Amino acid sequence: MHGEASQVRNGWDDERLLAALSEAMKARAAVPEWFIETGKNAFAWHNIDAELARLTYDSNEDRLPAVTRAETASIRSLTFTSEHLTLELEVTGNSLLGQVFPARAGVLEIHTRAGEISTTEVDEIGCFSVEPIPASPFRLRSSASDGTHVLTGWITI
Amino acid sequence: MRDDPRVVSLVTRASGGDQGAWHELVERYASLVYTICTRYRLSNHDIEDVGQSVWLLLVEQLGKLREPAALPGWLATTTARECLRVVTAANKAECLGTGLDDSVLFVDNAVIDEEILVAERNAALRAAFAELPPRCQQLLSMLISDPPHSYTEINAKTGIPVGSIGPQRARCLERMRRSSALAALGEGDEKIDARGGEPGA
Repeated sequence: MHGEASQVRNGWDDERLLAALSEAMKARAAVPEWFIETGKNAFAWHNIDAELARLTYDSNEDRLPAVTRAETASIRSLTFTSEHLTLELEVTGNSLLGQVFPARAGVLEIHTRAGEISTTEVDEIGCFSVEPIPASPFRLRSSASDGTHVLTGWITI
Repeated sequence: MRDDPRVVSLVTRASGGDQGAWHELVERYASLVYTICTRYRLSNHDIEDVGQSVWLLLVEQLGKLREPAALPGWLATTTARECLRVVTAANKAECLGTGLDDSVLFVDNAVIDEEILVAERNAALRAAFAELPPRCQQLLSMLISDPPHSYTEINAKTGIPVGSIGPQRARCLERMRRSSALAALGEGDEKIDARGGEPGA
């Protein structure tokens, strides 16, 4: 296969080159436009001014075997940690309650993959709520009054 | 192929904030990501989910890729991993099982490797085609359309005399063969000297 690819220039006759070109064009045409757009739009996240907070705890990953899961999985909780900040989240009914440590008042942005942004306030003790919980994957960006930003990874509830 | 300077340049430029370079990377490798998703027989909804994850991960990794030229391999591996995540999650939800079982589709590494090679070759062919003069692009497009245009139809649409179509086709293909985009495919390969015979008619 590798050898074959190297012979494209020299070894392929016109018929083969034309057939290969046809295959290459068909492969590209088979990809739906929305899929390409999704990829292009992802660039909006390039160099976003924020420190990245990684998922360090997810109650879903902590699941016990199926027998006991029904009792234990009623509350979903997640923790995101960055160098300077920890974000704890808990799903309660249709809302997402959270707290930022160390506590800092500010604004929390909710970014969906479609590019929509909504905001919620973070109070002096670092508490906030997101309601309703976005249906699609989303990420949270916490901005403090001192100008520092922290961005979580993608969250799916 | 490992050091395809085009890929390295696109990654470097995108990493520096060049949106056009990013778009070109997506155009170049979307079919690789998409084809692997279809190998896992994902629904359109899941394909979109995986696609978003893969491209977002790449955006975050752009400046950190140790070997930018190895991007296709990175994309393929990341896509396969994301597909498996989606398939496993769906399986868990449906079966209340404890994870993987026999019904989870497993796609062999060899299949993924093959897809990487095909994607590289296809990307190089499309790049070589894009460098051709418009008249060559038009002629070759008509020849590879499905169904292909007859010489009479080509003559009607382009005005190229029927007797000149064959020689022009050969010249356009020869031009493609000599393009630097295709040259990248052969570089660094020990079989570069495995030249075939004269290009056929």
